[in-house]
Amino acid sequence: MSLLTTNPTATDLVAARAINLTKIYGRGDTEVRALDGIDVEFHQGQFTAIMGPSGSGKSTLMHCLAGLDRITSGSIVIGGTDLTALNERRLTLLRRDRIGFVFQAFNLVPTLTALENITLPMDLAGTKPDPAWLDTVIDTVGLRDRMTHRPSELSGGQQQRVAVARALAGRPELIFADEPTGNLDSTTGAEILSFMRRAVREMEQTIIMVTHDPVAASYADRVVFLVDGTIVDDLVDPTADSVLDAMKRLGN
Amino acid sequence: MDSTSITMEATAARAVGATKVYGSGETRVCALDGVTAEFERGRFTAIMGPSGSGKSTLMHCLAGLDTLTEGRVFIGDTDLSTLSERKLTLLRRDKVGFVFQAFNLVPTLTAIENITLPMDLAGRDPDREWLDNVIDTVGLRDRLTHRPSELSGGQQQRVAVSRALASNPEIIFADEPTGNLDSTSGAEVLDFMRHAVDELGQTIVMVTHDPVAAAHADRAVFLVDGRIVDEMADPTAELVLDEMKLLSRR
Amino acid sequence: MFRLTLRNLLHKKIRFAFTTGIVVIGVTFVVGVFALTDSIRSSFDDLASDIESGIDLTVRVPLQIGDELDRVRVPQEVADRVAAVPGVARVDGRIVARNTSVIDDNGEPIAPRGPPTLGSSWFPTQFFVVDGRPPDGPDEFAINSKAATAHDLVVGNTYDISGPNEQRSFRLVGIYNFGDPDKDKSLAASAVAFDTATAQEFLNGGEGFNEVSVAIEPGADRATVQQAVADVVGSEYEVVDQSAKIEETQADFGQFISIFGNVLLAFALIGVFVSAFIINNVFQIVLGQRVRELGLLRAIGATGRQVSRSVIGEAALVGFLSTVIGLVAGLGLARLLRIMLKSGGFALPDGPIGLRPRTVVFAVVVGMGVTLVSSILPALRARRISPMAALSDTAKLAKGSLATRARIGGLMVSIGAVLLGLGLFGGFDTKPLLFFISVGAIMVFIGTTVLSPVSASQVARHIGWPLQKVFGVPGKLARENAARSPRRTSSTAGALMIGLALVSMAGVVGQSIKETFAGTIDNSVRADYFIQSASGGFDPNVGFSAEVVDRLAALPELDLIVGYRFGLDSIDVNGSTKNVFTTDFAAGVSHMDPDVLSGSIADADPLGSILLHKDPARDLQVTVGDTLVVGFPDGEVEALTVAAIYADSTIYDNYVIDNAMWDRHFNRSELMFATATISGYSDSLPDDEKTALLASSAAAIEKVTDSYPTVTVENRVQFRETQQARLDSFLIVISVFLGLALFIALVGISITLALSVFERTREIGLLRAVGLTRRQLRRSVRWEAAIVSVFGALLGVALGLIFGIAAAIAIPDTAIKSVAIPWRNLVIYVIVAAVAGLIAAILPARRAAKMNILEAIATE
Repeated sequence: MSLLTTNPTATDLVAARAINLTKIYGRGDTEVRALDGIDVEFHQGQFTAIMGPSGSGKSTLMHCLAGLDRITSGSIVIGGTDLTALNERRLTLLRRDRIGFVFQAFNLVPTLTALENITLPMDLAGTKPDPAWLDTVIDTVGLRDRMTHRPSELSGGQQQRVAVARALAGRPELIFADEPTGNLDSTTGAEILSFMRRAVREMEQTIIMVTHDPVAASYADRVVFLVDGTIVDDLVDPTADSVLDAMKRLGN
Repeated sequence: MDSTSITMEATAARAVGATKVYGSGETRVCALDGVTAEFERGRFTAIMGPSGSGKSTLMHCLAGLDTLTEGRVFIGDTDLSTLSERKLTLLRRDKVGFVFQAFNLVPTLTAIENITLPMDLAGRDPDREWLDNVIDTVGLRDRLTHRPSELSGGQQQRVAVSRALASNPEIIFADEPTGNLDSTSGAEVLDFMRHAVDELGQTIVMVTHDPVAAAHADRAVFLVDGRIVDEMADPTAELVLDEMKLLSRR
Repeated sequence: MFRLTLRNLLHKKIRFAFTTGIVVIGVTFVVGVFALTDSIRSSFDDLASDIESGIDLTVRVPLQIGDELDRVRVPQEVADRVAAVPGVARVDGRIVARNTSVIDDNGEPIAPRGPPTLGSSWFPTQFFVVDGRPPDGPDEFAINSKAATAHDLVVGNTYDISGPNEQRSFRLVGIYNFGDPDKDKSLAASAVAFDTATAQEFLNGGEGFNEVSVAIEPGADRATVQQAVADVVGSEYEVVDQSAKIEETQADFGQFISIFGNVLLAFALIGVFVSAFIINNVFQIVLGQRVRELGLLRAIGATGRQVSRSVIGEAALVGFLSTVIGLVAGLGLARLLRIMLKSGGFALPDGPIGLRPRTVVFAVVVGMGVTLVSSILPALRARRISPMAALSDTAKLAKGSLATRARIGGLMVSIGAVLLGLGLFGGFDTKPLLFFISVGAIMVFIGTTVLSPVSASQVARHIGWPLQKVFGVPGKLARENAARSPRRTSSTAGALMIGLALVSMAGVVGQSIKETFAGTIDNSVRADYFIQSASGGFDPNVGFSAEVVDRLAALPELDLIVGYRFGLDSIDVNGSTKNVFTTDFAAGVSHMDPDVLSGSIADADPLGSILLHKDPARDLQVTVGDTLVVGFPDGEVEALTVAAIYADSTIYDNYVIDNAMWDRHFNRSELMFATATISGYSDSLPDDEKTALLASSAAAIEKVTDSYPTVTVENRVQFRETQQARLDSFLIVISVFLGLALFIALVGISITLALSVFERTREIGLLRAVGLTRRQLRRSVRWEAAIVSVFGALLGVALGLIFGIAAAIAIPDTAIKSVAIPWRNLVIYVIVAAVAGLIAAILPARRAAKMNILEAIATE
């Protein structure tokens, strides 16, 4: 497989793009190059996985793409907007209105109910969600009977489903998922991943997911591999096997 | 290698029919389902499995950090279910070493103070020779007076392993010790652990999901959904990966 | 976000309750003090009206200085003239006096303690007989019904009454209600009434009236009648109408209440100050724990401002709730305080206790103000939380730099010290003086707290060093934990610091007063016996009749008795009103030695001289032989020669005249104090002779004083002990009040510790996994609290020492001549603080020990 092979059947619309992206932590002795001049594009309507060993920079890449963390040099473009040109407030509003998030853990505000968590970004914006769309999303994740429960009353899997619902409810341009199944058992994890794939296939969402799990990666349309802050491989239509093989190669 | 050929005295830790159930009703989870396993002295064993397989739970129960719903767990000849909370604490202090994935060290103590912590808690003096041996092996003599915040991630983990070794325990449990480290630092820690088994005669049981880490072990035990499903002697990263592929199809 | 704010509060109900509770305490005290003083004031206002009801005009001699009772008397002849004025319906000459004590069947006098024991003529329009009849005759008296009931006085019985000049027996002929036919509205300890002639003779020592009350005929034009009366009496007298008189009386009462209320308010504000510390701490810690959640909100799109507004919103809700609860609780507290003060002997009127708008405003300012101000810094920090905090296990709130704190703190302390200095030594009037002192002190406090983290780690390590030696690892953990977050340690300790600073300051001032007093007794006073009023101590309004002194003077066992009087703000020197003391110039020198610098007291002319302390002498630039023009309450002015200047003002204050001069210009005749020496006594006598003389003189004195229960006689040893005991009990009262501040501080330490422990859950899990037993864990938590408490105590004691020494220097030499430091007490305070810290840590320590290890390790 060659690097940076683009999928000819995907639309040419780019949802997110990193240009010569570099992120450095610390100074002097303790300086760490988490990302080293990365160039990558993520296409709309695609489910992309970012993989790599611990310390490869995969999470850092996602955080920078999502506008959660500042970059040292280079630029990031989300749907035409250059993130580096935005101040803190604009960045916040971008996240609120155009991006959805699913984290590995601690996705939900403990004192709000499931429904309140789902509509939270819109409540923050002061806008009302589209009721029809909201119903669709809730039914898709299958939690209609749990809407009044607090996170502490939901299982791990159910919490992640609520998080996915929240990410979808605002009809974002882009959804970032950071190890969304990392804390779940295989069955529940598979459910979440199916939802996410459905969201991409049936609801025209774009999802970028960081994972270390080959099985999770196999749900994606494309896998990008990072090692020590650079992209070293790019896999299209991955299967668990082909991902494992790629990972083996990385180890050498 | 056949597990039945291991004799009782040579067993550092043992689980017999270990079952652990959490919660009830809707949220009922069976983390361990009748696990029987033995861990030989002087060996480095890896416990592996996907998320939710129960590997961490097994280790916690073996180490006396958690209690079983059914079954028994032994450290040496001691049945942990016969011990009071206080006795368990003393057992952990004197006979067991711990290395966690993160947050292993007390931030307000220096490296050397962290290393001798279990013995200081017991009010005992460490065996000077042994301690020097461990410190020299881990190669951190010039960092002993530093606080954890002044050490890199890899150095912190090595200090944690040193602490686990310093009291010359019966067994050391390590829970994803390299999970937060980059490949280089991770390799250093794993090498040190390997060295501890080979040169210092320690027994290490390590939970991990990383095939590269598992490759440092003498034996790998695989759990899925709370049960042991396979075992592998002298694992390599490739073999482990293949095994995990196999398991993920279940 | 509002929903989130509300949920957050309800989520942690216990913490919400605690935080609210602390603010409630502060608000309750402020509301309680205001409600109580408002109630007292309105009762006194009513009383003032009652006193003057039915009286349209009052004719009296004007008074510029001195006590009300020093007004020159109005003669009968003037009263007669007024009665003849057309439009005047009735005229009553009134006589009033204090120190008129009835001695009950048990031989106990009805003693003034706060409220006075009054004596008067019969006021027909204000006194309503409920039993018997009004007094009519030289042996008869009536008394108000509250006093009669309280002391079991029965109509028909004979009682001894101790008056301003002498003690005599009278027969009780009537009991009356004051102000209302159905209810005795008198606020005095007792109010004895005689007929006019008897009152004039027994109370006034002669003729005339204190004032003449006039009732105007209904229908007559008030202004005309008032003018007519004024014309008739002439410019020597003033004619005051009813409303002016009521206002005057109310103002007098008001002064007393203001002082009383201000003292209580000061304590209330201290409580508020301490609460503010704790709230601030709690908010900071709680915020630190919510960093991850707030990071999540930031990640999914909440702006920094929305987050900080939510933090402030939470505080506002706490404040609002606290204010409401505090308002209700404050009313209850006012009632409780009233009951407590009553049982302590301070009879307070039973009026309704309500809320004035001003009180509500203050409650809001305290309740909402404290919480909002405490939340500002945390809110600002919350605003800067980065969305990355959502993803990190170890996200922490950004901290201000210690260097900035050092600078700000240092600046505040400096400014505060300057203000304090100005207040103490600038010689300002009371209002600006209090302003400078209180603002200065507060700034020094806050500044010290801001500064303290700079040194907290070092100090905590030093304090904790012995713990590590004794307890090993738990001790080391305690020491390091106290030292690791100097900001947390010092702000927790800050609350304790305040209470201890005040207690220490009071201790230094108290000890200095005590030692000055002891020094005075030992060095400057050469009397063997001290005679004073049994109840009043040194209350300037309480005195005893000279009769008992005359009788004692007749005893052969005693060779000399000297009487002293004191007039508060009673003479005018160069345009300012001053206090004055009296003694016998000739005889007094053998009992009291004020360290004469120039001139001679014994040779001074009793009717032409005045003695001065060196300070006023310097201010007025006079020396011995110069003339000083002095004004008296009777309106007369005399040019007095300065006969002597002395250095020690602890005995005589600043100005001294002879008793004869007092008799000339003052109506009051009671003595405040008297000293006596034993005949033939000398320190050089052999011990057994001394003992014999003491015994025989004591016996003789007792025979006399048995019939005068309003007076006590003490020998040197007894006198010293009584005075010191009085001072000690005063200090204890202060300590009790401050004890409340300490209690709040300890609750704060407990909460802060509990939160800190919670923050360290993972670390505790690790330690337990590695082999720390529960007992060792509890020990380390307890001793951590002890270290923090000791830190606060040391700071507090240090500050208290400084403030106390400054106060001792500033307090005039009459009370404090030299500074004395109660070292032993200060050490005890620190030890008590340590013990209290240990106690405060009990609950948090137990919670820590109960933690489940696995959950702790797995805590995010």
